[in-house]
Amino acid sequence: MTRTDLWPAIEPLLARVERPARYIDREWGALHDGEAAYRACLIYPDTYEIGQANQALAILYGVLNAIPGVAAERAYLPWMDMSAAMRETGVPLFSLESCGAVRDFDLVGITIPYELTYSNILETLDLAGVPLRAVDRSESDPLVVGGGPSVFNPEPVAAFFDAILIGEGEEAVGEIVSAHRAAKAASASRAETLHALAAVPGVYVPSLYETVRDAKGAYAGTQPLPDTAARPVVEKRVVADFDAAPVAIAGIVPFMDVVHDRYGLEVLRGCTRGCRICQAGMVYRHVRERTPDHILRDVVAGLACTGYDEVSLTSLSTTDHSQLEEVLRRLQRRLEGTGVSVSLPSLRVDAFGVEMARLVSAGGKKSGLTFAPEAGTQRMRDVINKNVTEEDLLGSVQRAFESGWRRVKLYFMIGLPTETDEDIQGIGELVHKVFRTAREATPPAQRGGLKVAVSVSTFVPKAQTPFQWEPQISFDEIGRRQQVLRDSMPHKGVDLHWHDAEISFLEGVMARGGREVADVVEAAWRGGAVFDAWTEQFRLQRWLGAFAETGVDAESIANRERLQSEPLPWAHISAGVAPGYLWRERERAFAGKTTPDCSFAGCTGCDVCDDLEVKIVLAGDSRG
Amino acid sequence: MANGEFRLRVRYGKVGRLRWLSHLEVLHALERTVRRAGLPYAVTHGFSPHMKVAFGPALPVGTAGENEYYDIWLTRYTKAEELLSLLASAMPQDLAPTAAGYVGDSEPSLGAALTIARYQVEVTGKGSLTEQVHAAMKSLVDSGTLTVTHKGKHKVFDLARSLPEETRVTQSADGSRIELAVRIGPEGSLRPEALVRAALQSAQLDATVVRVTRTDTLIEQQEGLWARPL
Repeated sequence: MTRTDLWPAIEPLLARVERPARYIDREWGALHDGEAAYRACLIYPDTYEIGQANQALAILYGVLNAIPGVAAERAYLPWMDMSAAMRETGVPLFSLESCGAVRDFDLVGITIPYELTYSNILETLDLAGVPLRAVDRSESDPLVVGGGPSVFNPEPVAAFFDAILIGEGEEAVGEIVSAHRAAKAASASRAETLHALAAVPGVYVPSLYETVRDAKGAYAGTQPLPDTAARPVVEKRVVADFDAAPVAIAGIVPFMDVVHDRYGLEVLRGCTRGCRICQAGMVYRHVRERTPDHILRDVVAGLACTGYDEVSLTSLSTTDHSQLEEVLRRLQRRLEGTGVSVSLPSLRVDAFGVEMARLVSAGGKKSGLTFAPEAGTQRMRDVINKNVTEEDLLGSVQRAFESGWRRVKLYFMIGLPTETDEDIQGIGELVHKVFRTAREATPPAQRGGLKVAVSVSTFVPKAQTPFQWEPQISFDEIGRRQQVLRDSMPHKGVDLHWHDAEISFLEGVMARGGREVADVVEAAWRGGAVFDAWTEQFRLQRWLGAFAETGVDAESIANRERLQSEPLPWAHISAGVAPGYLWRERERAFAGKTTPDCSFAGCTGCDVCDDLEVKIVLAGDSRG
Repeated sequence: MANGEFRLRVRYGKVGRLRWLSHLEVLHALERTVRRAGLPYAVTHGFSPHMKVAFGPALPVGTAGENEYYDIWLTRYTKAEELLSLLASAMPQDLAPTAAGYVGDSEPSLGAALTIARYQVEVTGKGSLTEQVHAAMKSLVDSGTLTVTHKGKHKVFDLARSLPEETRVTQSADGSRIELAVRIGPEGSLRPEALVRAALQSAQLDATVVRVTRTDTLIEQQEGLWARPL
């Protein structure tokens, strides 16, 4: 194995790029094992300050480095000034810890975080000097493995990966490395190695599958090639004993400002509230809570190891933790007088959420509160199964402003299935009521500082959700509905922010596209698309050019309703939730019927418990 | 000491790869180190309470520093050597503290006291031979002034005042090394790389500045002697 130290070539470039701290390593907590026989490079395909905050990579970094003989290092996508300098001087993508060329590692793990990072994945591979497509890789190229949140329809990027892990990585990552090491020890060929990987539960090896077409040439499914270990359906990996799963206590402490610059501890995983719009709620099932004792232990240890002055209790919905109140009270006692603050990333739109916010901000600064009612009318909220009422929201706003908060942020969506103009106008009316409630709860002298921020995005139907068959509203229709909303929105005191319609459209294509979309991603990247998730870098034109060049019909992917009988491009990937359940939920949505949270009401029949042998695990017996 | 607080002065280096950190990044790294080390740090009062710490003159991104200083106020007395070892064990090596000692609360701040900085500037390339660089430096210094343009603003430095001692040029492995002292302060500090670049340019030497290190930050005493603050 070649081991080069690229630092002498990298350092001279630093004087001419922004934020050299992105490229220098040497952070507290970074692990250096120059002796390991097997080396993995974990890559987040965005800049250091975005990727360094990722908890999943931090956990996998710890897990892999704990395996004898294995070293894991990190790499991020250099910003454009640096990648230009690297290309100019012939410096390939490098790992931070040893400044080794990424292409010299045994395994290259790339996070697949979000649809708009797909172009960055290609940029990462190209900078590394690794062939973009798995089929073009030789025996000397590293094994390129993907994983992360956006794998539940992996097809648009499947061609670029040798293997993709579906689901949670804590346990699976060791099995993947173990299979790869065994294959190397046996001097297995690349093809043999891929077959061995396909036998690891949760691992999808795209090259072992083929697309099947019917007599008319229409897509008829994706199936394993004959005589392989590949499964017809790859089921996600899930950690059953989440309370005992490893957490990143001795995390890496960055020098530069990064997003979420604090100690983060995941206190529960999964969510069973069953919002029909939410992919995360479907694919991270089931709810598994960590016990207060373990949370306390890990927060205290994590703060001592890192020196952070803030801890964030993370999850899809932290205020859903059944023992949150106890956790916060105990944390409050432990951290008293240290100046360390506790933050909660998301709040429930009810009294409990506000009470918990009050508990964490006791005596300190009150930053804004964020609520996500998602829709403006009760009918619409019932369709998406949001299970939140206007009274819940207004009551929470009133309590929050009476307790001293002066800012609230509200998240809404337009373009939801069955939405009418009245539903959109309902958002404006609800915002108006929130503003009035906030104003009345604020002493007259302080009303000047009152602020209601409203953020509106366009609904993007996602794979593995009850709305996976739904058409996304068209580009023109997004514009029309945005105008309806603008006209109904109170102007005074409300700060309105839109999610770009062009970005939503592209997200929609990537979210439900099939294998053919890989050609589009590659064409767009060749046309200059990179850092598409950075709004100022995004150019729709590049993508429209790529659709035209490849002949892929973007509208038929994003804006077309699918039939129940139609094979879906992600049907060979399973999050454990039965397609029948998703269809029933879709029908209940159109009937305006809500479905309760199965953590407390009865089983709603999603099949995750039976299929994946994972049970709902609550630390207490009721929600706060 | 005032308010029952103890003012600990720490000498440290910003070397190796960490010379690429900004001053703010060094400050944040230090705060996290202090918490990891478990030091009994004092907190400022006011709207946004934070750790009570004060630094000497900032180092630019890319410039290393071998003898830099900060003061940190503590609420409890502990032997300085013990604190030094606690800090050293919690700090990345390239920012390691090298000395620590208590100073009186009435002492002037590091920012006000440190008015001299010694630098070492390394240049390589064609025309980086000692004699050539020496002649280029001398010719520029003899011209009397240097106008530096930074972010569209012009600033004129009186070189006799800005360079309080003679500059030395010696041969290095792949070029030459310039050692110089610069007066620093609120009225503006001459950046050594700006000076060296101007000298190389006016002598039309095809050499470049590859590394700048601030080797010392010093207090100019009344008798004209220079002393370390610790």
